[in-house]
Amino acid sequence: MGYVHKRLASTAAKLAVSPSSARAFPPPDAISNPRAFDPETYAALQPPPASSLTALAHRLGLGRVLSPTEVQQACTHPSFVTLYQKHYPNEAKPATNGNLSTVGNSLLGLFASEYLNASYPHLPLRVLKAAVSAYVGAKTCASIATEIGATPLLRWHRTTATPLKPALLLPDALSSIPRSIVALVYQHRSLPITRQFVHDLFLSREVDLRAFIKFRDPKKALKETVAKFERERPVSRLLAETGRFSNSPVFVVGIYSGADQLGEGFGTSLKMAEFRAAEDSLHRLYLTRTPPEQLRLPSSTFSPSPSDLYTYKPPKGSKLEYVAGELGMEEIEYASGGRTGLVTPPSS
Amino acid sequence: MPFKLPPATKPVLRAQLSSRPANGHTAFIPQVRKLVFEYSEKWPSSSRTRTYLNNHLEELARTNPHVEVVVQQKNHREPIVRGFYLNGRDKVISLKEFEVTQIQQKVQLLLDSSGAKIKPLKRRIIESSTESARGIWSGLHVPELYKI
Repeated sequence: MGYVHKRLASTAAKLAVSPSSARAFPPPDAISNPRAFDPETYAALQPPPASSLTALAHRLGLGRVLSPTEVQQACTHPSFVTLYQKHYPNEAKPATNGNLSTVGNSLLGLFASEYLNASYPHLPLRVLKAAVSAYVGAKTCASIATEIGATPLLRWHRTTATPLKPALLLPDALSSIPRSIVALVYQHRSLPITRQFVHDLFLSREVDLRAFIKFRDPKKALKETVAKFERERPVSRLLAETGRFSNSPVFVVGIYSGADQLGEGFGTSLKMAEFRAAEDSLHRLYLTRTPPEQLRLPSSTFSPSPSDLYTYKPPKGSKLEYVAGELGMEEIEYASGGRTGLVTPPSS
Repeated sequence: MPFKLPPATKPVLRAQLSSRPANGHTAFIPQVRKLVFEYSEKWPSSSRTRTYLNNHLEELARTNPHVEVVVQQKNHREPIVRGFYLNGRDKVISLKEFEVTQIQQKVQLLLDSSGAKIKPLKRRIIESSTESARGIWSGLHVPELYKI
């Protein structure tokens, strides 16, 4: 008996349903037709209590911005409508987050791309796209939804894959919640405030960009990059070593272009140390980061209010004035673009 | 005739990329989401809990709008307060025979907690997800090579 009560309590806690906010409790269907009554479906159909919706808004610092109805709309996936109308055909359709999710997704893409492009001017295009996916992609949005505590508030209906549509899984439904919240902030406030919200919630998270920049032959890539920048050709020099001919040697190799050191690497063999040094040099180039105080974003030219959308000019010399950053050197052709992996042997 | 080499590194699948949380670096999301108070109507062990619920609970809910506060009557049981956290765990504290000030202390403990399991302090190893600010000392990067 104790186990049953514990199961019931844990299920109820997960679904955030309280009997006090249900329509008629116990539901008449359960009494009249107990065999056909499914308590989990019933629980999934009930609205969450308003206190949990306001609590979510306050957790995000949006307590004065979003009303409980809007939070509920942000947490209702369009797949929920079919399930709801099947069981309550006479009631009005619940408001869903389909449109909000699309607007929020576009805004997230805008803010993430401009921020990353301004922060890392030399980043290769493929890496930039991967970084945008890492910061505001579907998987991140789903994790953010669980981290803010929106999982028990999500109302959705799992659908299997059909010939016309792919399957709808929990991460897909969860990812719509943070996007809808971003769209709601944009609706209620302005673009600069939404940008600040996105920077605080999404772009402050940790992503290691070095994992996205990998080379088949970093020495060759470095040689071509240095030639493009019209510097002296790279030369590797052994800086320090210990334990040669033992079972755990350490070699430290630096790569120099003239008198300037481009990068340094360690390894248990000379070749590995040189490999890492070349990789380090390329990382130091591609991952050069604009200091946050010098960051200028193109969306700062957008007006804070919709009334002077086309005539707004930020005050001169202020942080909002947009000065275009330097254009990064275009990427080298090696193992990039449309010729990935294709190597033509030298014609003899 | 061009031939295709196998990829040197694993391809980066963009749909699988995600980021790690950094709660508190810019915005802070409080980790407690719900407090549930269970009390008995008649038993004397819940009497101060009942006083607390009548006098102090509303102010608690007002000053902590990010927390859902739920009150449940459970007769023939000792009073408890249960906190639910965003990591899925919950913490339960018995309020049996507690004075009002003691109840306030326990409630504040639940509000401040992150929900993580209590780790022993003496056997802890230092863990960090970010690189050290000054770097780890290396015997090969000193003016004179360090000899063991």
